[in-house]
Amino acid sequence: MTQPVSPPRGSADKVPQVSEKTGPRVAFARADVRTLSLLGVLAALILIGGITKPDEFLDTRNLQLVLTQASVIGVVTVGMTFVIISGGIDLSVGAIVALASVWATTVATQEYGFAGILFTAVIVGVGCGLVNGVLIAYGGMVPFIATLAMLASARGFALQITDGNTQVVTVPSVLDLGERDAYVLGIPPLVLVFAAVTVIGWLVLNRTTFGRRTVAVGGNAEAARLAGIDVRRQRLYLYLLSGLCCGIAAFLLIVLSGSGQNTNGNLYELDAIAAAIIGGTLLSGGRGTIVGSVLGVLIFMTITNIFALNNLQTDVQQIAKGAIIVAAVLVQRRTASTT
Amino acid sequence: MAPEPPLLTMSGITKSFPGVRALDGVDLDVQAGEVHCLLGQNGAGKSTLIKVLAGAHQPDDGTITWRGEPVTLKSPIAAVRRGIATMYQELDLVEHLSVAENVYLGHEPTAAGFVVRGRAAKESTGALLRRLGHPEVDPGRLVGDLSAAQQQIVSMARALSHDVRLIVMDEPTAALDPDETDNLFRIVADLTADGVAVIYISHRLEEIRRIGDRVTVLKDGRSVASGLPAKSTPTREVVALMTGRNVEYVFPERPAATAQQPAGAPLLEVQGLARAGEFEPFDLTVHPGEIVGLAGLVGSGRSEILETVYGARKPTAGRVLVDGKPLKPGSVRAAVAAGLGLAPEERKAQALLMLESVTRNVSVSSMSRFSRGGWIDRGAESGAARAAVRELSLRPDNPDVPVRTLSGGNQQKAVLARWLLRGCKVLLLDEPTRGVDVGARAELYAVVRRLADEGLAVLLVSSEVPEVLGLADRVLVLREGRIVHRAPARELDEHRVLDLVMEGSPVSPTGLTSTTSLTSRTEGNPAS
Amino acid sequence: MSQFTSRRRMLFGTAAVGAGALLAGCTSNEPSDEESASSQNEQPAADDKPGKQVTIGYAGPQADHGWLNAVNLNAKNRAEKYEDVTLEVTEGSNDTATQIGQIETLINKKVDVLVILPADGKALTQVGLKAMRAGIPVVNLDRIFNSPQAYRCWIGGDNYGMGLNAGHYIGEKLKHKKTARVVELAGLDNLPLTKERTQGFDDALKNYPNIEKVARQAADFTVESGQAKMAQLLQAQSEFDALWNHDDDQGVGALRAIEQAGRDEFLMVGGAGSLAAFQAIEQDNGVLKATVLYPPSMAASAIDLARALGQGKGVGGLAEFEIPSSLTLYSAVVDKENVDQYMSTGFK
Repeated sequence: MTQPVSPPRGSADKVPQVSEKTGPRVAFARADVRTLSLLGVLAALILIGGITKPDEFLDTRNLQLVLTQASVIGVVTVGMTFVIISGGIDLSVGAIVALASVWATTVATQEYGFAGILFTAVIVGVGCGLVNGVLIAYGGMVPFIATLAMLASARGFALQITDGNTQVVTVPSVLDLGERDAYVLGIPPLVLVFAAVTVIGWLVLNRTTFGRRTVAVGGNAEAARLAGIDVRRQRLYLYLLSGLCCGIAAFLLIVLSGSGQNTNGNLYELDAIAAAIIGGTLLSGGRGTIVGSVLGVLIFMTITNIFALNNLQTDVQQIAKGAIIVAAVLVQRRTASTT
Repeated sequence: MAPEPPLLTMSGITKSFPGVRALDGVDLDVQAGEVHCLLGQNGAGKSTLIKVLAGAHQPDDGTITWRGEPVTLKSPIAAVRRGIATMYQELDLVEHLSVAENVYLGHEPTAAGFVVRGRAAKESTGALLRRLGHPEVDPGRLVGDLSAAQQQIVSMARALSHDVRLIVMDEPTAALDPDETDNLFRIVADLTADGVAVIYISHRLEEIRRIGDRVTVLKDGRSVASGLPAKSTPTREVVALMTGRNVEYVFPERPAATAQQPAGAPLLEVQGLARAGEFEPFDLTVHPGEIVGLAGLVGSGRSEILETVYGARKPTAGRVLVDGKPLKPGSVRAAVAAGLGLAPEERKAQALLMLESVTRNVSVSSMSRFSRGGWIDRGAESGAARAAVRELSLRPDNPDVPVRTLSGGNQQKAVLARWLLRGCKVLLLDEPTRGVDVGARAELYAVVRRLADEGLAVLLVSSEVPEVLGLADRVLVLREGRIVHRAPARELDEHRVLDLVMEGSPVSPTGLTSTTSLTSRTEGNPAS
Repeated sequence: MSQFTSRRRMLFGTAAVGAGALLAGCTSNEPSDEESASSQNEQPAADDKPGKQVTIGYAGPQADHGWLNAVNLNAKNRAEKYEDVTLEVTEGSNDTATQIGQIETLINKKVDVLVILPADGKALTQVGLKAMRAGIPVVNLDRIFNSPQAYRCWIGGDNYGMGLNAGHYIGEKLKHKKTARVVELAGLDNLPLTKERTQGFDDALKNYPNIEKVARQAADFTVESGQAKMAQLLQAQSEFDALWNHDDDQGVGALRAIEQAGRDEFLMVGGAGSLAAFQAIEQDNGVLKATVLYPPSMAASAIDLARALGQGKGVGGLAEFEIPSSLTLYSAVVDKENVDQYMSTGFK
């Protein structure tokens, strides 16, 4: 046994490496650097857009366009970010958006007008999230599998509802929301919703116990459990949240496209995951930011926009998208490790 | 020492990482056939030094002389080719490969570029395992199916699968039972008899005394003493070298009042608690201000008891009362709400949020205190965390630093601060000093005693008998899931406890982490 | 939409001939007196007189798209018209293996004729061969098999022709302009048919030196993608004269984007022939002026062909005793002039 020897009581254990003063700054600086590097990527893209197509790109209408197109996937990504931070994954987001959008645009639903469409879209989203959450939190299913199953069945259900047909929206108040006349101080209502979801998401993640618990569950579920957190209930709420975001996104998509179709939300799960990862969210959980994810979405949308404005075709767009994902992650790693 | 030139000489090794000078002029010489022990606190540079030796890090300066020739070890493979093998503390085995595949990973027998699966590798692996005293390990089994001790053996077999002249062992006994430790030491003796040198790293001075020949002590990246005789250098001197401080007694005085069973109502009461297959029904009380210790070997059910009391496991019988009120069984949340707090054995895996700051680690169990309607008052949170951190003199005393940058002892303090902040009444400590270096232990002991003095009830589990005896007021001795003895700590000594712990068990007594070896067994089996 | 075909026919004409019209008589070799009938649904199926009983096996893909849904419906409705036809319909599937299994079951049941719209033409060639060897004639619908031995008769749409006719229609409309700019909203770029439609369109525009194609973006046949890509195109091109959109389904989204951008300076031509598109053309209060057919009625014609095969007859209106081995349908342009005629064929 170690002989009973020790320093006098109260003296400190040796402190390795991090000095007291630089510690927190380093921690904060890292988060800032990550965000800054994303802003740098975005700035570079804006520069490219501005140089190649100055008239079309640097235009209020184009800004409105990019933000509007980003709104639907952006709302989905906020929900996805929470789920990934908690160490989970939600592969069913695109399918939930599809199901919610077709359910909310059936002839029967449309009879109830604006409120009916909005309510149905949100309820269907939350309902799917509830099923996901119960299966994962209380059924002990792996998130990947549970949400994969939801992906398949929600898509099937959406097809069954539509029979493959496009359901055109005939409710004027819904359609009007997507028109230029509805802009508030030049901001499209869809973008306002996106902004609101982003701000609320940021506040919830950073300023509430819900956000803390999410991070704790993702960082170390066992430690969170032993610290007295109800890990299962937290997981349930997280998938509910993701479903809610999908429901909102479905409504935005209905407004945007003026219709519901079972092919809606195609590959949203991959776009949302990619945006979150680019934004610095760890796929293994425990770390991530709403700001980063939203920047990730905006980066993707800006790329799409620049490519379309320059009349480049799908093949080139896809190659560039892949390259940007790799580049953004590498840049972040480099900047984060040299600080 | 032997007149022949050393097998290995490292001199003036320096290595810097961004912001840290990890090694600052280390000298080390190792003779063929000796066990050379490397001692030092966490962060002293031991890990960096062995990584330099393993070719995983390149030194900034200094020379390495191997068998009389200066060498540079450019990569791990280069080191292995020269006969230097390393067993890292964190086992680096691939769980989904077989034993033989792991042993020959990276140097598989090949024919025409294809890996030859099969007999040759399996047979030679089998031979290695027999040599290591583990013929029962089937070379074809998946490593993930083996016990921790068996995995350790596989790791060693891998080291020996090369033509090895020097083996570096980093805390090889951390996961081992006493009899496994014995076996390891026997293997070390065999190896050195064949002229292989061993560099042995351990926190346990007693192990170093048992098998070491010479000791090199590292402190703050420098070698502060080299080639001390392992058996005869006084502990006081070794610790002084490691800490750079004068030494004192580790254990705080226990207040006279708690030497006997205190009067008044117990804070924690366990009635007939049991889990089938893990431990038998037992009763236990802990009063405010009292520290009760559970002593027992690995596998005796110590951690299981603690986790069942805490609600992390569901009991098959019995109940737990806090302040006279029974807890909902199998519910951690109920236990925490009633005022229980657990500092688990695996701190990193079970307690800490490694990516988060100290503050958030401390406040995680008390969030409702700083929040209204789910909204966190961050000022109040960080103030309270700061106060709790100060109270335990956690260093650095800035709670905004990430918890992963803290030393083991300070990480443990962060866990204690969490429960302090929660206002917990009963503290459950599972191996509180595991991975905490010698100097910092004393401080932790002092903190625990102080918390008890302030009215907490503490239930302590440790595999280190002196720790239980030194810190606890009363001791329960556990053997194979049964409480076999209870007594005030001052009525027991190590001999007695070891006797009780191993009575009827085939385990060799010398395996227990103690300097005391038993020469005879006392008879009698005091009933619990 | 995903019709695969490599057949190209340089069919260029002005007459809008209904898809069913060519097959107006599936009876004996006597010419049918109803050959010039208008819409195929109103036209009496060639020789309604009951003949030899024929069991037709029909295997189509899953109807996850309006056009495919219309194809399946056309086949079923047509078969119901004939008292002498029994239709064995399989559950639609997009999975190659499943569809092969379904077709093998039909072969084992010894149906008289098979009508197959494969999920993937190449992958189902083998099962087509198997049926032919078993003595069951196969009518291959739209997505063509790899080998002509795998079918007795192929009938399908003309993707190249769609592009060509759309190009000519736009070319004629813009002929008077000194310079004109056109934009193309293509379908899913991964599919060969999209390339064919674009090729046809480009080839047609070569006849009109005053026209320049200034932009092309590919959507993926969905409303959502149509809206997104069209919005980008509108931003990229502040002014243009004509738009060709490959698909009426994604056209719903494209029209939404046009409406949102408040643009109306150009004319738009769609593709495929959805009911919504026909209605918009008829009302004539938006940019959509015409659409180029890819008629789902081809399935009805396939049933006619299968019935003729089963009864050993040829096609009315042609001199040959046998039905042709291949029929490429004409991609007619539907505009305000002739839309009434097609209204009933529009799919949802």
